[in-house]
Amino acid sequence: MLAMKVEHINPFIEAVYELFQTMLEGTVSRGKIGVSAGSSNPRDIMALIGMSGHTRGTVALSFPTTTALAMVGKMLGQQVTIIDETVSDGIAEIVNIVAGSAKAKLVRDDDRPMDLSLPTVVRGNNYSVEYPSQAVWLEVPFKSSLGEFSLRVTFEQNPS
Amino acid sequence: MKALVVDDSAVMRKVLIGALGRANIDQVDQAADGREAVEAAKANDYGLILMDWNMPNMLGIDAVKAIREMGKTVPIIMVTTEAEKSRVIEALKAGANNYVIKPFEPATIVSKIQEVLGKAAG
Repeated sequence: MLAMKVEHINPFIEAVYELFQTMLEGTVSRGKIGVSAGSSNPRDIMALIGMSGHTRGTVALSFPTTTALAMVGKMLGQQVTIIDETVSDGIAEIVNIVAGSAKAKLVRDDDRPMDLSLPTVVRGNNYSVEYPSQAVWLEVPFKSSLGEFSLRVTFEQNPS
Repeated sequence: MKALVVDDSAVMRKVLIGALGRANIDQVDQAADGREAVEAAKANDYGLILMDWNMPNMLGIDAVKAIREMGKTVPIIMVTTEAEKSRVIEALKAGANNYVIKPFEPATIVSKIQEVLGKAAG
């Protein structure tokens, strides 16, 4: 039932690197891939997006406030100092870009492309993340020139 | 010349408006979904449209089809996270003139805009 393998997170890691090489014009390096414990340290702002097709899954990026401000500021080419709708919008677009970029790498050329849901953003410092249905989430911490953040991915079965 | 930027992300619209500015296009209308884009295209003669794919209410690909069905020949560049080859083919068949995959380098989008407008002028 649970077949999420470490190599299936690689397209998402590549997508994060591509994002930094292009739109965010910065450096990024990943830490060790692990199984997410869920509620521990969900960070201040989290963007999630669903993926569906030959498999179903969810991708989440979670950021401390400072990283979210720095990333959206970089995209806009201006200083951003408060978490507001603009920052939520920018973070949503970042998870959309990462998931979109990764999904093309998860399918063969003759497969029907996977579909993305519209992204959702959760923010605040008093929420917890829980994973019902025995879902296993892999988590990758990143350090970047714009601050730390983490990537979490879950799939219901093996992407082929 | 006036351009239309269509994306449900306000941040991405600002990024694209900046790119249009670097291509010397300063008059820009904005739409947040495909439906708004079709209405705007119906009411205006744009010189260029930048169109996202995944948006609420109406997808960008459906907006491209609707705009072409109106007989509008405005150059349309898809700017989207949809990176699969089959999606690119689908967009070009629907009437898009070019395709930029997010994430992009700022210079890439500017050169695509110039390329499409150069072709349209020629």
